[in-house]
Amino acid sequence: MNSYKFDWNVIDKYLPELLRGLFITLEVSAVGMVLALVIGLLLATGRLSSHRFTRAVSNGVVQLFRSIPLFVMLFWVYYGLSLKFHLMFTSFQAGAIALGITGGAYMAEVYRGGLTAVDAGQREAAIAMGMTRADAFLFVVLPQALRIVIPPTVNVYVGLLKGATIVSVIGVSDMIYVAQYVSLQTFTPFELYSVAGLIFVCLTLSISGFAWMLERRLGKGRTYG
Amino acid sequence: MTFESGHEESSKPTFLELRGVSKSFGEHKVLDQINLTVAEGEVLVVIGPSGSGKSTLLRCINFIAAPDEGEVIFEGHSWKVFKSKFNFVANRKYEKKLTILRSEIGMVFQNFNVFPHMTAAQNVVLGLTKVRKLGKAEARLAAVAALSQVGLSDKVDQYPEKLSGGQKQRVAIARALALKPKVMLFDEATSSLDPELVNGILEEMRRLAKAGMTMVVVTHEMNFAFQVASRIVFMDQGRIVEIGTPDEIKRTTEPRTRSFLSAILN
Repeated sequence: MNSYKFDWNVIDKYLPELLRGLFITLEVSAVGMVLALVIGLLLATGRLSSHRFTRAVSNGVVQLFRSIPLFVMLFWVYYGLSLKFHLMFTSFQAGAIALGITGGAYMAEVYRGGLTAVDAGQREAAIAMGMTRADAFLFVVLPQALRIVIPPTVNVYVGLLKGATIVSVIGVSDMIYVAQYVSLQTFTPFELYSVAGLIFVCLTLSISGFAWMLERRLGKGRTYG
Repeated sequence: MTFESGHEESSKPTFLELRGVSKSFGEHKVLDQINLTVAEGEVLVVIGPSGSGKSTLLRCINFIAAPDEGEVIFEGHSWKVFKSKFNFVANRKYEKKLTILRSEIGMVFQNFNVFPHMTAAQNVVLGLTKVRKLGKAEARLAAVAALSQVGLSDKVDQYPEKLSGGQKQRVAIARALALKPKVMLFDEATSSLDPELVNGILEEMRRLAKAGMTMVVVTHEMNFAFQVASRIVFMDQGRIVEIGTPDEIKRTTEPRTRSFLSAILN
């Protein structure tokens, strides 16, 4: 049973490759997250709009984007858009866009939660002073919403980071891609995937830990009024 | 109105007036055809059972809750509800115009609504820079002065979480007064305060009244109402039942007012 020998030499040899792949993973998830932040904000503003049609459309978009598996989304963006609309993206771009769309739908909910969690009296007090709606939002509501939103935002990022492990299916040379590629030559998939997995666990755990710390910090003494 | 009541309203120009103001929340009519005038320098105290529309009345004055019908006249300008279904530009423009009215009317809330992410001074500075367009340094000076006036000169750079309820409400009062409003609205300003802090805030309001500020005050503090009010408005079920001087209200024969007063005074 225990005859399998874990081949550390492969790891030793290809670790730099794996880490280079990891860097691509971080990169694609970071670009995806930036897109998600923007898309999410647009969708959230739509969902909170006083205009019924805008609300319904952004609602539908959020539900749709959330229910499409990332795997399918990747294929749609990479192959679908180029076949149907001649929109060509590199695999990196397509990966980032797909992550951005899926993440954006999740971020929309996070933003919405943050904005609605700010007591309505805050906005009212600002408006009552004669501030414009924009100023009231920018200087009174948004700063308070951000404090609430930061921890769940980090969680969305952890989700995207984990989601980024499947962007190799469209040929992004991320860490999983490297593991796959190398193991085809060395016949040591177990070693390579295990180490790749381990690196991921460390990464997501430390980011989650960071989120937890933020949550404790920002949550402290948050009293309204 | 008799001469003995001591209010020569007719000789003063209309300062603030509500004409036919109505508002519903769904089926429920919260305000039903309210007509009311407030003279300059007058302290109008609005009383009535909860749900009678007092707060909504106050909020309709500065369009924090826009009336469905009717108009608010302030210093000769008439303000009516304007909402186009399609012309969003016009809606925006109107909303922007409303800031002019609101900047002349200070408001103090039951829940203080102090901005928790800003220090006491920053709370006051915000309005001064964004609404009155003062420079930062100038605004800071004015904010410190306003806070000193309500007895908070040693709390200027404190965040609200470090302040008591009474101190938060003082910040809110300073924040409103710093903008030099012509009218102050108090929406149950002492209702969520600990009992020992109530008098301090009422004292601030008394001082303000003495200084000649026009005030519309929604409160359950009947002692304050009888001592400070120029006139008392009794509301029930979205309507004004009766308006009179404190003495007139005390001696009223109106059954609903009487039953409310006897309930609240015992």
